[in-house]
Amino acid sequence: MKVLDRRTRIEAAGGEAVFVVYDEPERLRRGILRDLDPVFPILLDPDRRAYAEWGLARASIAQVWLDPKVWRSYARMLLREGQRPARMGKDTLQLGGDFVVGVDGRLMYSRPQERDDRPAVGVLLKVLEEARGA
Amino acid sequence: MAAPAHPTTPPAVGDMAPPLSLPTIGGGHYRLEDHRERPVLVSFLRHAG
Repeated sequence: MKVLDRRTRIEAAGGEAVFVVYDEPERLRRGILRDLDPVFPILLDPDRRAYAEWGLARASIAQVWLDPKVWRSYARMLLREGQRPARMGKDTLQLGGDFVVGVDGRLMYSRPQERDDRPAVGVLLKVLEEARGA
Repeated sequence: MAAPAHPTTPPAVGDMAPPLSLPTIGGGHYRLEDHRERPVLVSFLRHAG
């Protein structure tokens, strides 16, 4: 997770952020939240109704686990950053996505995942800045 | 774990955001439509373990 602790930059960009998860709170606390005091709302969607309403499907095994980019990413984490990949969630095929909603309720940015990839934090901050000024 | 039924097409730029009204991990409740004073990054995590 590269954006949960980016409160200052997100607020400086004039925006706010929420994170939607479907795993149980206890699993979250043992996983991605174990070293973080979340400063943004963490929304719980255990039946993944919101995931479905936002069009976020499940991937195939090949999309996620046979993608060399996934393994390169994990290797980088291990070798360069000394991090072990976080404990897996209960459905490793569920895809996520990043969206920026403008003050009029319309999407300013839409980036549903197609595999285990996410936009750079800098990209999201730039969209938030532009949305603030729109 | 059962997959959610019939995912829709993801909303595109310019579309109205789908509804988002969910409980928070802190015990509260969040409704996206109550947060219109600033742009909001909505990030759905792939898995969160």
